[in-house]
Amino acid sequence: MKPKQSMLFMTQGFMLAFALVLSACGAAAPATEVPPAEQTGSLTVLDWAGYDAEDFWVDFKNTYPKVTVNFEIGASDADIYAKMKAGDQADVFHPYTGWLQFYVDEGLVEEIDTSKLSNWDKVPDNFKKIGQINGKQYFVPWDWGFTSILYRTDKIPDGVDSWAALMDPKYAGHISMWDDGPGAVTVSAYIHGYDETKITSEQLDAIKAEWIAQKDLNLFYWSGEPELQDGFRSGDVWAAYAWQGSYATLLGEGVPVAYANPKEGRNSWVGVYGIRKGTKNMALALKFLDQKLGAATGNNVVNLFYYGHTNQDVMSGITDATLKQAFSIDDPDILNKTNFTPNLTAEQRDAWTAMWAEVKAAP
Amino acid sequence: MDRRATFWFIYLPPLLWLSLFFVLPVLLMAAFSFRPDMRGDLLKLWVPTLAQYASVAETGSYWRLLGISALTALGIGISAVVLAYPLAYFLALRAGRRAGLYLVLLLIPFWTSYLMRVMAWKILLGTEGVLNSFLIYLGIIQEPLTALLYNRTAVILTLIYVWVPFAALPILAALQRVDTSLFEAAADLGARPLRQFTRITLPLSLPGVFAAFFMVFIPTIGEYVTPLLVGGSRGFLYGNIIQDFFTKAANWPLGSALSMIMLLATMVLVVLATRLVDWRQLFE
Repeated sequence: MKPKQSMLFMTQGFMLAFALVLSACGAAAPATEVPPAEQTGSLTVLDWAGYDAEDFWVDFKNTYPKVTVNFEIGASDADIYAKMKAGDQADVFHPYTGWLQFYVDEGLVEEIDTSKLSNWDKVPDNFKKIGQINGKQYFVPWDWGFTSILYRTDKIPDGVDSWAALMDPKYAGHISMWDDGPGAVTVSAYIHGYDETKITSEQLDAIKAEWIAQKDLNLFYWSGEPELQDGFRSGDVWAAYAWQGSYATLLGEGVPVAYANPKEGRNSWVGVYGIRKGTKNMALALKFLDQKLGAATGNNVVNLFYYGHTNQDVMSGITDATLKQAFSIDDPDILNKTNFTPNLTAEQRDAWTAMWAEVKAAP
Repeated sequence: MDRRATFWFIYLPPLLWLSLFFVLPVLLMAAFSFRPDMRGDLLKLWVPTLAQYASVAETGSYWRLLGISALTALGIGISAVVLAYPLAYFLALRAGRRAGLYLVLLLIPFWTSYLMRVMAWKILLGTEGVLNSFLIYLGIIQEPLTALLYNRTAVILTLIYVWVPFAALPILAALQRVDTSLFEAAADLGARPLRQFTRITLPLSLPGVFAAFFMVFIPTIGEYVTPLLVGGSRGFLYGNIIQDFFTKAANWPLGSALSMIMLLATMVLVVLATRLVDWRQLFE
């Protein structure tokens, strides 16, 4: 666009006006920047099944309609990590707390230039810190939620006040634990007051024995939330390790469930987005992450999946009673009673997952 | 085309396919099983170590589970063959002109996905499932039976169900090759039906029976989907542990070592079985 040159040849008034509008547009954006609506290109995102739906990147879609976004699906944190480690070419990927340190240690993630993110100041500092490794911002925190004990109030009328409920013989055959080694270590650490970041090998042996004994009480280990929710609906499962998305879903369906506030505190997890080291799509990836923090996207996370979003305007705008209860928004003390998942080291990951495999292999 | 050109024309595509997508991955997995851990560049050469095998060797529960899985697969293989034999026998020798129709009926379950069929067993065996509701309706039980689902028995039942139609096919093929004039000859010589079966039908169909057994036995040792769906906390098979190290632990070296051990164990079992049974005698 060369407005000055074209003006020379324009005599008629409306043509002049047209040119002025054009030049005004040109002045608003930096000379090299293409307007968002005209931006083209393609971006590949490695995400979890469900988050590939347009609802969860709707702000980006609306702002950059001509950019193609391709999704690859990861089945778990381990799966996503293994894919990135094996040289997956996704520009953006979505790991969760506990699994962040390795990406930095193995040189798989770029540092984020947060000055490029217009929505960054809407993210509270305690969330920003979750995405910092070795003092640098490597990840943009995005979704979060609680983990606690979900239980059927009709089957357990006295309620649940401790993580030890998952080991309570009173509920034999009606307990469901998440199929995850680090998750099991977390629960045991809460019950026994172990420091989760410094589990000794003696403690790990005790944890293994504890969960092998728990097998007699455990109906099944759940991998996906629908499986767990089915167990609650049918009345087979009375108490389970669960994320609050399941709580909100079942509560909304009228299943008599409650979400415990255990005396050891709830657990909390945060999902973050990282940008692959060496991507040629850095500018577009940053724009994607910025729009991921947008309000419309955040509202969809809250309303469709019942998870929290890191844009605080989204959270303070929640009015739905079920959701408010699920996030315990009216309990001003809830975040102080929450333990954030610490990052695992590679040794812990290998030892804890092997411990869990032995639990599952045990007779 | 001369014979050599014809040979390569026919065999090159499957050879390439199998080398690329079967032999190469297995070799890669074998190589990974000698890796110390997942740290560092995956494609850079590493110093081979037996650390993964050592860690498997000292974990008794993995070996125990391998044994249990092999025994489970043996039981499932035998049950599926025993149940499939009458089906195949009927189709080959008694169904007559309607054999084609019955064969289609036998194969109808395969029109739906494997997962759907396994999920159906959850509906059958669950506490609010078909079986429990029926028994409560009849007044035989008051409270639903919880022992039906989420244990190894449920895994075994489901797998036998899944495999029976598969197992029927090689037996059917073997029975269809039996020359029916042999039965007439046997009858002329005074052999009663039972004797005809044990002296003619069964021996001649044995290659199909063994093929069916191994078709069930080998994949069942490594099975992991069915235990995940209906096995509960105590129904896991060896394949589940392998799957966990790949998808839940990001520990490919240990998962690879466990896979190689299973591969070797299965091969040893199959070789032993073929030694016990003289194959050449079967085919003559």
